[in-house]
Order: sequence, then structure tokens, then C-alpha cells
Amino acid sequence: MTASVQVQNVSFAYHRGQPVLKDISFAVAAGRFLAIVGPNGAGKSTLINLIAASLAPQSGTISIDGINARSWGATELARKIAVVRQGFVPAFGFSVAETVLMARTVYYGPLGFESKIDRQCVAEALEMTTTTEFASRPLASLSGGERQRVFIARALAQDTPILLMDEPTTFLDLKHQVGVYDLLKTIQVNKLRTIIAITQDVNLAAQYCDEAILLRPLSRPLVSTKGNDADADRCQYRIGPACEVLAAAHIEETFGVSGFSGRIGKEQFFIPLGRMAKDAIRAADR
Amino acid sequence: MVQQLLSPRILLVRVVAAAVVLVVVMLLCALAGTENISLKTALAGVHEGSSTNPDYEILVHIRVPRVILAAIVGAALAAAGVALQALLRNPLADPYILGISSGAGLGATLAIIGGFSWTLWGRSPVAIFAFAGAIGTVGLVWGIGRITGKFHVTGLLLAGVVVNAFFSAIIMFLISVAKGQQLHATMFWLMGNMAEEDFLVLWIGAGCVAAGVVSLYFLAPQLNAISFNPEDAKSMGIHVERVQLLAFIVSAFVTAVAVSLSGLVGFVGLVVPHAVRLVLGPDHRQLLPISSICGAMFLVIADTVARVIVAPAQLPVGVVTAIIGGPFFLILLIRYNRKVSWLR
Repeated sequence: MTASVQVQNVSFAYHRGQPVLKDISFAVAAGRFLAIVGPNGAGKSTLINLIAASLAPQSGTISIDGINARSWGATELARKIAVVRQGFVPAFGFSVAETVLMARTVYYGPLGFESKIDRQCVAEALEMTTTTEFASRPLASLSGGERQRVFIARALAQDTPILLMDEPTTFLDLKHQVGVYDLLKTIQVNKLRTIIAITQDVNLAAQYCDEAILLRPLSRPLVSTKGNDADADRCQYRIGPACEVLAAAHIEETFGVSGFSGRIGKEQFFIPLGRMAKDAIRAADR
Repeated sequence: MVQQLLSPRILLVRVVAAAVVLVVVMLLCALAGTENISLKTALAGVHEGSSTNPDYEILVHIRVPRVILAAIVGAALAAAGVALQALLRNPLADPYILGISSGAGLGATLAIIGGFSWTLWGRSPVAIFAFAGAIGTVGLVWGIGRITGKFHVTGLLLAGVVVNAFFSAIIMFLISVAKGQQLHATMFWLMGNMAEEDFLVLWIGAGCVAAGVVSLYFLAPQLNAISFNPEDAKSMGIHVERVQLLAFIVSAFVTAVAVSLSGLVGFVGLVVPHAVRLVLGPDHRQLLPISSICGAMFLVIADTVARVIVAPAQLPVGVVTAIIGGPFFLILLIRYNRKVSWLR
């Protein structure tokens, strides 16, 4: 079960305001892992919501396996795409198992109960995300990292070829950040899922993702550190293999920061350096 | 691992058990009262039916209708409370939060002060005005809420609060110009007041409320996901807006029925769903039927206390629900929160 996503000439603005996305086109092949990276306000969440069909583009089309997703109803769409939004604690004390089971609601029988298959899906999703041991605990009693794994389990239980993630590692400590990416990579490889994830972590994105798209806000002119190339000036985004797109020069011009960068073995890294950082002050003194 | 999840068999066993307890409670409460009556003597009257049997008369024509009325109203308010707490994703919500109480109150006050004397299908103008006021206000609040946006619960809540405040002010104005007798009737209505009703009215009310609770049960799986997060529910393929609208209409309807039968009985719709949730968890497939039964039980007991405790006078039942319900709920809250923290 795999599916590809095509975004063609998509433009979007909220309520006749400033456009947020302009003429975006890219494709994610089935079973690939794409990172969406960019500054706050660049339209990353908007792009995810467009792909999830929570929003409709003003122009352009978004297709799943070549079929325009706008022609589908909510139920059909839910068989193709699962979304993990930024984690939160709900108003009522649902347990982990109850939370994951919600993903199966549309498959319930006439009396409002899940089938054996639904329970199987839930059990597998809990197993895969190693959350089985918390199954009966209330969601509120889990740590941020554990909770994020539960939300991923819920998306897995929905049993869709495509997973969309909105900043899956926000508020997580280093170990859990790596843990979430390891889990996503395992899902991609073992379950052949197509994954599209918004992230602020350029280093983890470069390590784990196949492709990356670097978005910049339309409202803000490009901050150039090393002279613009004409292409980047016209276009709101850059897409390609993660390592190339997330090269230090591109990050610096898109985010308007400078910093250290380098490569250790196969992995590249970028560390931003602010004006008041110890090392920056020392350099200025010299 | 998934054994902790609710199964249809467990649900059925619990619902039947709760229903049996409800019937026993209703019977015991029907036997309690200022006149001592014995069930044995009363039942003898059914078979013989020859001369007048006061025990039979009291039980069947006074006590039983009133106990049934309390059960209907309690079940309706608790079910509507569950649904509105889920829809608004707010544990503080109750059936009256979206202006229904003040709308019904305004209708009832107008009818009492207007001093109408006609009846419609055996219902007094007070009940009919209250029903119309309730439905009209809910429609108004929902309309205002829609303007502020689809998932914007805050807009809906604010509209409810403002409409409530506005109509309450009008009620206060009407009360301040009302005469003594009308004043007493209005105050009793606003505090929730049970009276003996015809069996026909009871059957219609019971039918409406039962239909409402059953429809809400079939929305319960979707309400689970919506009470968690409507946006997530939508990406899981649930028709969120349709479910929200249906659940809202049904809860407004059963609340309006309850209010037109008994006035504004407070506390049941807020506290019963919470108490049941604390003990059995938030799964609406269970929360909804069990809350309805417990709501019925709670109001039957509260109404019995209301008519017994200061006999031969009677208290408005709303006074009793708050006085018994408040401490009972606090005890439950403290006990179960401690239990949860032990588990952690």
C-alpha cells in the first residue's frame, strides 16, 4: 500500500488577504519521506492542510496517485491520508487505547463498536510505536515523547498510505526527537508509507528525509548573504534531495541567520550563531 | 492488551444493571412520602378494584406519575449534558449553557404573568411558552455561533453567556413588576418544580427523551473523536459538522422537553455526566446511556427528598439537587483524583 502526492501550481491566500503560497509545484513519489522546512509564517502548516484537503487551494491541484483529492469525500480521504497535528492534551481523560481506537471510528459496526480487524489495527499500531505498555493509562499521564508516539500510533491505526506530520519533535528532548525520527523512518521503510513532515530541525531532516522543500514567507524579501541567484529570487521554495536543499547557504538565506556548518561522515549539520553568542562576541573583540 | 477497551457485552451488562437499580429506586421512592402506604395493600387494589383503596390511589395517581416525571427529566438533562460537554469540549458545559434556561425562563415568566388560561394538548401555556422560548433561544445562539466560525467553540459559548445574561435581565424586570401570586409561581418554576402530570403527557415526554437518548447513542463514537479534537476527527473521515449539528439539535430538543415539564432543574446536567465519567471513563458509548440512567435516579431521589423533607410543604427540586449533588460530587472528585494519582 503506497501512494504518491502531486502538488501542481498551487496558490493559496486566507480570506482575500496576502497570498501565503504562490505557484507551488512538487511531487512526492510513493514511499518517500519529505521534510517541509522554513521560517515561521512561511506557509508550512498551510501546505500540510492543503494536502490534507482541510483547505482548498485558490488555484492549482493536489492529487493523490494522480487523482484530484478535492473530488473525494471525507471518508475516502481518510483512507488515504492520516494527519498528526501538534500534540495537546484533550479536555477529557481518554486512555491511550481509546485514543488510538478513534482512528477506526468510520469502520465501526451498526451498534457503534469496533470489529476484530479494528482491534488488530490498534494492537499493531501500539506495538509498532512501543506504546502497548501504556495502553490503559490516561493520555494526560504520559510524557511529551510518549504522547507523540501515541498520536503516531493513532495515525498508523488509520491505516493510510500517506502520513502528514506537523512538527513531530517540538517540545521533545534530544533522545525523544531522535526516537520519533527513528520511528518515522521505520514506518516509511517497513510499512512503505509516504511521509510528509513539517520540521524546524534542519539537522534531523537532513539525516532522515529523502527530499526536502525549503519554503520562505512571501511577505519577506530574501535575505541574501552570498548574492542572489535569479531563480531563488522569483521562487518561494526550493525542492530537491534533503542534503542539497538543506545546505548551509540555503538555510542562511532563507532564515536570515548565519552559523557554523560542516559534515561529519555522511551527516551534515548546521548550527545557528546569533549576534550575542559567546563565540560571536569573542570574534568581534578580536 | 486491548482488553481495557469497552466491549458491547460489558456495556449491555452495565446498562441493564443500572436500569434494574433505577426501577428499584423508583419503586422505593414512590412508596416514600407523607402518607404511609404499603405496596401490599396498594397492589391488592389492582386485583380487587372494588371499593376505594387509598393506598392504590395515592401510589398510582400521585406518586408514580411524579416519580416517572422526575426520571424523564433527569435522564434528558444528563444526556444533554454529556452531549454538550462533548460538543463544546468543555467540562463546565451543561444543558443550559447555550441560553436554553433563560429562553425557557422568559417564555414561562411571560406565560405566568400573562395569566393565560387555555391549554393545548393538555399542556399549560407555561410549558408551551417555555418550550418555544428554549428552542428559539438555542436557534439564536447557534446562529450567532456559526457566524464566528465552524470549530470556534468560544464564539458559541460567548453567544450563550450573553444571551443568557440578556434574557435573565428581562426575567428579573418582569419579576420585579409581578404580583405576589405570580411571583411565587415564577420563582418556583425557575428553581425547578415537579408536579403530578397526566399519564399521556408522561408517555409523550418519555417517548421524546428516549428517542433523543437513542439518537445520541448512535452519535457517541463520533462524539468521542470530536470531543478529542474536531480537526483530527475530520481527518479521520468523520463528518464533523453534520454530527455536531445533529447532536446539538437533539440535546436542545430533549432539554426543551425537560424544561417544559419541570422548570429549570439545575445541577443534574452538569454533575451527573462528570460523576459517571470519573468512575467509568470518557467513552461516550457508555457515558451517554449510563449518565441518562443515573440522571434519572438522581432526580427521582432528589424529588422525593424535596416533597418529604419539609412536608406537608414542598421544596423546589432544584434546591435539593444542588444541596445533595454538590457535596456528593466533591467527594467523588477528591476520591477519584487521588486514585488516578496513585496509579501514576
